[in-house]
Parts: sequence; structure tokens; C-alpha cells
Amino acid sequence: MPPPASPHGAKSKAKPVDIGGLIEQEHLPAGRDGLPQPLIAHSQRERILAAMAEACAAKGFGATTIADICKPAGVSRATFYELFEDKEDCLQASMELSLADAMGRLVEVYSPDKPWATMVRDATATFLDLLASRADFARMALIEAPAAGGRSFELYASGKRVLQALLDRGRGDPIEERAIPSSAGRGALAAAESLIAGQILAGNTARLPELLPDIVYIATIPYLGQDEALRQSREAETSLRPGAG
Amino acid sequence: MPRGRQEERWRLPRGRHGLPPEVVSRSQRERLLAATMRIVAAKGYAATRVTDLTEEAGISRTTFYELFADKEACFLAAYDNAVDGLVRRISAAYEAERRWPDRIRAGLATLLEALAEDPAQARLGLVDVAAAGPAAQRRFRAAVQRLMPFFDEGRDFAPGGRNLPANASRMAAGAVVGLISDELVAGRAEELPSLLSDLLFATLIGYLGPDAAAREVGEEASKQLRT
Repeated sequence: MPPPASPHGAKSKAKPVDIGGLIEQEHLPAGRDGLPQPLIAHSQRERILAAMAEACAAKGFGATTIADICKPAGVSRATFYELFEDKEDCLQASMELSLADAMGRLVEVYSPDKPWATMVRDATATFLDLLASRADFARMALIEAPAAGGRSFELYASGKRVLQALLDRGRGDPIEERAIPSSAGRGALAAAESLIAGQILAGNTARLPELLPDIVYIATIPYLGQDEALRQSREAETSLRPGAG
Repeated sequence: MPRGRQEERWRLPRGRHGLPPEVVSRSQRERLLAATMRIVAAKGYAATRVTDLTEEAGISRTTFYELFADKEACFLAAYDNAVDGLVRRISAAYEAERRWPDRIRAGLATLLEALAEDPAQARLGLVDVAAAGPAAQRRFRAAVQRLMPFFDEGRDFAPGGRNLPANASRMAAGAVVGLISDELVAGRAEELPSLLSDLLFATLIGYLGPDAAAREVGEEASKQLRT
């Protein structure tokens, strides 16, 4: 699909985004295929991470025991403690992999030539696809990590700051801008995150990609206005239909 | 989720009194629910034991297990009870206004004041609740959804209300909870009332667009504006 022939496309003042720099600034890893798929998890470490994600989905991180992780992973307690200090360390390792995956995909999707709204749409679509394909990890990253505290929370917060910075680049030249509060991007991100987390907890993780039009709407409306946000949202909906894009 | 502390401290006189058993049981249950929110907010869910709850509430273990099967059941009931109280307060403030944006402003102001009254319980209610397991996580989501009806009315108020995304109200409620959580995690619970402009903008924008939302926020926004 060609870039939108919108008035905003032409006059967009969005600054180019140094996505790599953003990620580095947050000390986040970025690489593809970091997360183990349960079926192809060969190493003990991968099996432990997959088993922990599964156990957390069933009973929550707080109630998950080392035994809950070791048994399905087919490893001994001793092996677990050789690889991880404790349960928190294991969650942290899982968060690192999840973020590496997410950031790696963000880098792939990002291009400085894309209009800001297109970038928001592509990044959101990629992110939703990733979450949908790794349900248990999605749950850990978006539901357990925020409440876990420590380094896992820090990783979660860092990932959010990168997305935040991407969204905020839509603000454009402040001089001609509307009276938009500085928290507008954070509000949009919070709205999207809550929508996603709600679907994950409702067991609808596989259907997360369907949220794309609504998230595009709420992410673009602060800077593009309602009419253009609705247009972007409809375009996103079209891109979801089979056979499109 | 916090409520005034003092009102929860009351208890019936000990020993012989002529009160019917269901009144005694009800008073014990309410005391226990309030005590549970206080203790879990202070100690964290994992570290809280049933003994902590019975001691704080001044009830016996036997009574506890007559009322609830376990710590989790008790916490979930306490959580729902706190959410009920909060939603009632928001509702009353909302209903007292006429225009939808004013109603939202009043409801949000009440929510922020209520949460600022008890930072520990606010943090438990919005952030740490997720550490109490999947059932608690679902209760939290259900609590967020209880804000949706307030926003749904925006569809009738907004000029283009019928074209709005299906999840508009869900996202508005999510923005409220997310922005408040950021403040709670940063340890700024007492300053929550100053978040009103940001919350008002973040919720109205989906219905009215940025220009009209900024106008509704008006004076409060221009004070906080940083571009």
C-alpha cells in the first residue's frame, strides 16, 4: 500500500526516529527469535523458560514454585539453580528474551522514510502478532512483570519507554501545535496496553491482531486529529483482511 | 480502593449482647474485609498469612474459615468490596453533574481523591493486585471495566459518536488506570489529584478529538502544559 495521500502525510513534522539509539539508551537487547517455542525448545534453559511461562499462566508468578517449573521442563532442581539464581532471575531472563524479540522486530519494521502514522501501524501490527504467537510470554511480559518489581519491572518499563518515544515523535513542531498535554502519548500507550492485557486475561490472546484498528486510532488521534485517526484506523482495518497488504 | 480508616475500626462489644447472630457475622465479615485490604497493602499478598488477617480483624480462626475457604477467597472478596465502595463514590460524583465532560471530570476527581487518601491501598488496588494470582488479575480487569459505562455515554455526547472504535470506552478506562498506575509506581500517590487535567484529556480525546478535549480541559490544562 502506498503512503497515505493525506494532508498530514505531506505536512508531517514528525522527527525521524533513531530506533537503535532509543533501544540502546534503555540498555535493551534487540534480536530476533529470542523466545523459545515450547515445541522446539531444545536446551534446558529454553525448556525452563517455556515451562515457567506456562506455569505463570496457570497460577500466576507469585504462586509458581521451582517444582512447577522443573517438572514439565524435565530438569532437576539442581539444574535449575545452576542456570538461574531463583524464580525472579528466571522471570528476568524471560523478560530479556521477550524484549529482545520485540525490539528486534521493531527495528525491522522501522524505516526513516515511513510516515509516522504508517510506522505506528506497522509497529503495532508486528507487536500484536508477536504477542499473539507467544501467549504465555505475552502474559508474563504484560501482566506478571509490571507487578513483579525489581529488574523484571525495570525491563518492562524500559520497553514501554521505547514505544513511548516512538509515539511521542508524532508530536511534530511544537510551535503550531494544539494544546496537547505532555502525557498524551503516555495516555494512548496506557489505553492500548490495558486493552491488550484485558484480552490476554480473557483468554483471547490469539485474537490480539484484531485490535489493530482501535489501537491505531487511539495512538494517532492526539497528533493527527480525530478525522485523520479514523481514516488511519479504517486503513488499518483494511490491512487486516485476508489478501490485503 | 482505600476507604476512610476510622470507619472500618468499629467493632461490636465483646461478650454477651443480645445481637442476632447474622448481625455479628456481618460485622465480623466487614471488619475482616477492611483488615485484609490494610494488611495485604502493608505486607504484600504473598507474605500475608491468615493469622495476620484474623489478628487485625479481631476474629477467631474458626470464624475466618466459616466466612472464607482460604486467604485468596478472602482477598478477592475484600478487593471487590473496596472496588464497590470506590465505584459508588465515583457514581455519585458523576451523577451530580449534567454535561458528559463535566460528569467525567467529577468522576475522575473523586477517583483521584479517593486513591490519594490511602496510597498503600491504591497501589495494592491498581498495581500489586496482579501479584496475587490469575483470579485477582481478572478481578482487577473487571474493576477497570466497571469504569466503562461512564465513558459509554460519550458516544451520545460526541458528534461522531457512532463512528468511534468498538473499544473506545475500554481504552478510556485503560488510560485512566495506566496513567494513575505510573504515578503510584513513582511513589506520587499524594499528588494524584493534580493528575486530573491529564486524565480528563486522555479520556475525552477518544470521543471529542484533541482540540475539543483540550478545550474541555481548559484552564487546568494550560497550567500544566509543557510543549
